[in-house]
Amino acid sequence: MRVNTRRNLATYGIAFLIILGLNFLLPRLMPGDPLTAIYGDEAMIAMTPQLKASLVERFALDLSIWQQLGAYFLNLLQGDMGYSYSYNAPVWQVIMGSLPWTLLIVGVSLVLSTLLGIFLGIESGWRRGSRTDRTLLTGLMYINGFPDFFMGLILLIIFGVLLGIAPLSGALTPYSGLTGLALAWDVMRHMALPVTALTLAQLAGGYLLTRNSMLTVLKTPFMLVARAKGLPQRVLKYRHAGRNSMLPVITMTGIRLGKVVTGTLFVELVFAYPGIGYMTYQALLSRDYPLIQGIFLVVAVSVLLVNFAVDCLSPRLDPRVSYAY
Amino acid sequence: MHIDVKREIRQSGIGRAGVIILALVIFVALFAPLISPYNPLEQSTGSLLSPSASHPLGTNQVGQDILSQLFYGARTSLMVGFGVSIISLFLSFIFGVSAALIGGIYEQVVMRVIDAFIIIPMVIVVVLIAAYARPNLPVLILILSALSWQEGARIIRAQTLSLKERGHIAAARSFGGNWLYIARRHILPDLGPILLVEFIYGVRRAVFMEAGLAFLGIGDPMSISWGVMMRDAMKFSYLDVWQWWLIPAGVMLSLTIIGLTFVSHAAETVLDPRLRGAEIA
Repeated sequence: MRVNTRRNLATYGIAFLIILGLNFLLPRLMPGDPLTAIYGDEAMIAMTPQLKASLVERFALDLSIWQQLGAYFLNLLQGDMGYSYSYNAPVWQVIMGSLPWTLLIVGVSLVLSTLLGIFLGIESGWRRGSRTDRTLLTGLMYINGFPDFFMGLILLIIFGVLLGIAPLSGALTPYSGLTGLALAWDVMRHMALPVTALTLAQLAGGYLLTRNSMLTVLKTPFMLVARAKGLPQRVLKYRHAGRNSMLPVITMTGIRLGKVVTGTLFVELVFAYPGIGYMTYQALLSRDYPLIQGIFLVVAVSVLLVNFAVDCLSPRLDPRVSYAY
Repeated sequence: MHIDVKREIRQSGIGRAGVIILALVIFVALFAPLISPYNPLEQSTGSLLSPSASHPLGTNQVGQDILSQLFYGARTSLMVGFGVSIISLFLSFIFGVSAALIGGIYEQVVMRVIDAFIIIPMVIVVVLIAAYARPNLPVLILILSALSWQEGARIIRAQTLSLKERGHIAAARSFGGNWLYIARRHILPDLGPILLVEFIYGVRRAVFMEAGLAFLGIGDPMSISWGVMMRDAMKFSYLDVWQWWLIPAGVMLSLTIIGLTFVSHAAETVLDPRLRGAEIA
């Protein structure tokens, strides 16, 4: 147990260093002037010599690479992630403005896809080989083949364009001045399609994990004993088989979170949903490099932290995990 | 270990369906120049045309024939898919087998780095790198390969560790075979089925990534890609063009991924023999 924690810490430390290293080195590896690489061509044209000089000083670009690294860490420690010139605001502030929207749809779809995936996995595994199982398995594997953004586009066309019952873009009706319940309803209407797209795209992962472990659990001796004791079907299915089968889904939450976050990058773009993903797209279009770097840092580190938390918790949920190394 | 992957795939309905779908996509990719009515890059004055006899799927915003683009898109997708998967599988093999056979501090270091890479979400790393490097297709293949060998290496290492203890390898060692010889002569053939499954996973992941990056607008601007087609078509979703522009590109991409998913699902029994018989015939 203790060895695992230490090894885990080392892994997360290395991952953290890789992320920081990429962020620091990439602009400096680009050919040409590092300041141009950090800020992009477009920004350089509009820059005054004074501004340029102050930026060179801030990044310590006239000093050695080690001193630059020191300046980079110092800025980060002070929470200074640079200045986004396309939004004309500090990067940190820009990211904080759109992060809540992303957290909202990522959180809701992660919970929904986990619960639905576990439920369908239990039903499917319990009735293995039946028509329900066959339909679910094939159907979900079909859905799994749809990239997140194509899923989003299909939903957008069906519900937004053809039926016209869902808003086409955004997270709120602009300038509506809604409050209270009306506001909540407006937010839910806007997030319905992005959340559905993300949930559907992630559903198969949890489902297949649960179904596979269900098949293994059903063959174990304790299931035979439980059956022999004459326990009712419901108890056998959910309390004995089901509870044991959902463990891998929980312990894989960190990895699945990474996938949902990746998916949201594309889905937000489809629905013009004003979260981190849509902002990444905007930043890529305007080549706002400080913003891209900031987003990368925030997203990668958040995923790491959740991963770490799940890793620390999973041996408590499933004691077998600590022997699995 | 001695499971015949080909038989596993042939015996499952899903596996057979996957192989048929994949064969279709590969056919389209191979014979794209023969079956395409136009040069996919050729621009004409007739932009955003509706489907007609001369343009079965109409034309895009710069007058390129959509059907021809659809066929050539299969080439880009599969080229990136297979290219990335071959290179990253090679890297997986090198690092996985060497970590298992050499052991010691080398193994510790390699495994920690691999674990670190696995927990970093790859897409966002690729987006960052691509934003700076603006890669063309070959460079994109290299970038994706460098970032996708880690999981395979982990599985290959685990398998090699168990193979290493087998009698025939001990025998080969006692006859003086060095580790390189053993890796080539004994480990590689025994890893065969796992390498195949990992290869299919790799192709699927890379096809996914290529389309996604192209959709975000950071792929190779010169390549014809389903992701680019969907991105362009999305901008005109207020017109009817999505019917013959967006949907076909999305369906082709999804079919390719579904085909790969089906085949890998059927072959997964190799990685986890407990799943054997879990398949519905």
